[in-house]
Amino acid sequence: MIPKNKFWWFAGVSIGLTGLFISILTVFFWRQLTPDEERLLIDLFKHHFAYIFIAIFLLLTGFVFALDGIFHNYIIPVSRLAEEVRVIHSVNPSHRVKTEGSRDISRLAAIINEGAEAFEALRKNIGQKIQAARADSEEEKNLLASFMSELPEGVLICNADGRILFYNKQARNFLGPDGQAGGGDPSSRFIGLGRSIFSVIDENLILHALDEIAEKFARQERNVAAYFAVVAPDGRLLRAETVPILNRDQPDQVGGFILILYDITDSIETERRLDYLLQTLLRRIRASLAGIRSGIEAIVEYPDMAPEKRSHLQRIIHEEALRLGGVANETAAEYERHMRMHWPVVAMPVADLFETIRRKAEEKLKLNLRLKPMKEPCWTKVDSYAIILSVLYVLDHLSRETGHRSFECRFEKKPRYVQIDISWEGRSLSIETLRRWEAQPLLLENEGIGLSLREVMAHHDAQIWCAACEGAEKRPSLRFFLPLVSKDCGPSQPSMRIRPDSRPEFFDFDLFNQPGQTPELDQRPLKELTYTVFDTETTGLSPETDEIISIGAVRIVNGRLLRRESFDQLVDPLREVPYESVKIHGIQPEMLKNKPAIHKVLPLFAKFAEETVLVGHNVAFDMRMFQVKEALAGTRFINPVLDTLLLSAVVHPAQRKHTLESIAERLGIRIIGRHTALGDAICAGEVFLRLLPLLEKAGIRTLREAVAASRKTYYARLKY
Amino acid sequence: MPHNILIVDDEPNIVVPLQFLMEQKGYAVRVATSGEEAVAAAAEQPPDLVLLDIMLPGIDGFETCQRIRDLAGGDSIRILFLTAMGQDMDMAKGLSLGADDYIVKPFSNADVVARARRLLT
Repeated sequence: MIPKNKFWWFAGVSIGLTGLFISILTVFFWRQLTPDEERLLIDLFKHHFAYIFIAIFLLLTGFVFALDGIFHNYIIPVSRLAEEVRVIHSVNPSHRVKTEGSRDISRLAAIINEGAEAFEALRKNIGQKIQAARADSEEEKNLLASFMSELPEGVLICNADGRILFYNKQARNFLGPDGQAGGGDPSSRFIGLGRSIFSVIDENLILHALDEIAEKFARQERNVAAYFAVVAPDGRLLRAETVPILNRDQPDQVGGFILILYDITDSIETERRLDYLLQTLLRRIRASLAGIRSGIEAIVEYPDMAPEKRSHLQRIIHEEALRLGGVANETAAEYERHMRMHWPVVAMPVADLFETIRRKAEEKLKLNLRLKPMKEPCWTKVDSYAIILSVLYVLDHLSRETGHRSFECRFEKKPRYVQIDISWEGRSLSIETLRRWEAQPLLLENEGIGLSLREVMAHHDAQIWCAACEGAEKRPSLRFFLPLVSKDCGPSQPSMRIRPDSRPEFFDFDLFNQPGQTPELDQRPLKELTYTVFDTETTGLSPETDEIISIGAVRIVNGRLLRRESFDQLVDPLREVPYESVKIHGIQPEMLKNKPAIHKVLPLFAKFAEETVLVGHNVAFDMRMFQVKEALAGTRFINPVLDTLLLSAVVHPAQRKHTLESIAERLGIRIIGRHTALGDAICAGEVFLRLLPLLEKAGIRTLREAVAASRKTYYARLKY
Repeated sequence: MPHNILIVDDEPNIVVPLQFLMEQKGYAVRVATSGEEAVAAAAEQPPDLVLLDIMLPGIDGFETCQRIRDLAGGDSIRILFLTAMGQDMDMAKGLSLGADDYIVKPFSNADVVARARRLLT
């Protein structure tokens, strides 16, 4: 009950009770009077009615003022204190009660605050101890999760109902539109914790794989994994390996499954090209051999054929022999081109590459390579083993040829390549010597690859040349040219710098025991439900005439706010955006140009929020905005809805303010990025998570109870 | 009256020795360098045997085979595929289209002559 109503209720009851008490006393008093005394009193009353009325009125007025004083100085502050003390010990130990009210209440509040200080310190202390105890296992868990997120394969872990418990970055790249609304395509599919895998991969494919696994189990095969191919939304061909997860308690039951996705588009293309190359080679060889064999056999069989015929056949044999040579050369060139395309090259800083070369030259060849610092960093794309071996091979030969054991290395960045000069003092190297080195296979002590220096250089689009080093003294040098790549493609994707603390939000194994979400959401505990917390920005406050210009949303799964699984979409309102509203949301009209209109965005948002409970602050307004557009968008929001404004009023009826800011402040939430749809949605999500334990303490545990309690609150009477 | 053979191949270096060989064996030989040319030649005067390459410019050997079979009296023409593909599927396809036999390049002259003889008797 809100304070104003409570006061009138309190005042009414107090006055009623006092009146009743006085009436009973008067009746008893009247009965004991003699008739003369009664008459005397009636006469006195009639005579001095005005004085008696004024006295009673003043008495009553004083009584009401006294009640008001008691109410505002004792009763309201006490119920506020009760609410705030609950906040302190349940969700926000940093919260301090206000020392308003009478002196006694202020003293009580000060003592509560002192207790809160001690409680907070104690909790911090315990928290630190728990954290320290957990740190090791947490680090291992995070390391594993981070490692999984960086794998080149897509990995998804699902429970037996097909709900996703874990997914890594690659799985999201393969299967989903990155959780973001792109061009407003309603057929977009979302990958997210707690979502069904069947919305992204055909259910029949997975069920077939699970049947196959069950059969393999029955046959007691060692490898029970099942495989199927699936086409990704962008057309890539994926090979999915399905591995069962057995129930801990019933090892013969499948409790879930792991899907490992491999992108086989490139390897299929490679196989196809190689197959084509082989087929073409065979066909051309066979055709040429047919001519040669037939010609030779005719010459042998008919030794006395006419000389012109014989020379014609001989010419054919010669031509076909030459053609065979050509076929061999062309195939070899094509094969080499193909292999070069698939040579495993990675981008790396030139400085790092040569630092490794310097170290290895010292260790293996006992040569000193002095690296001059680079003016600006640059990156190249190489098979580092082959390039390092090539440079070491050159250094080794150079040392033998010149007798030097020390070389200087300078770098110069050019527009498309980096020029590396390895110089020495004395006579220069002849080009013939270099050509000889280039033709020899790369061998260094017991290391080597079956390619020549020239081939390795050609594979990398690199060059080597004899030159005179520019500078004050013209030292002879060997010049390498390596192609540059931009720094953006520098650290190759995915980056393998795994930090244990960079834990992704892509997993939630507690979902393992969660049953499939069905219409009986009402009976389910609030903690177990999946929520879509959302907010909209609009051109104004009238649902009938104003338009939505932005929708932002995040998901809450198993009590965790998943910031990465967000929806953030600007909407073209197809009308002017009033300057007054721009001042609030900061979205300039230019930002909305070429954005999808609401009838395209709403179905996409409905898909994002599918099977979840919608949560927002003052959500009645947003829902009304949606309702107005439902017919146009051809979609309906049938999700249950909860409002943080109403829920706050449910748990804190004595508090005056229930704006998002004041609730956030009360519950100890730092607000960042407010007044963007996504920022407000995140804030409402955090508020909602903090409200959950308070609701539980107030005896509200299920969705039905939360909806019923919300309905009762005063603010529910507001209609948009 | 010698048997009439039609050699269909766009590669002259195969046609020349083959033509010489068949003429030496006493056959009357005609040459076509494309499928269309072969169908026209067969329509004009049905050969007894067609030595038919599969990879041809324009319509390929399979289609040529089918068109020759569709000609009036085409059923009685013997067709021997000369293929440089050498894959089982190609051979199976050729035989299912009504070829009488196939021979994979590079073939021996004796083999071609033996098969031609067998088909013509």
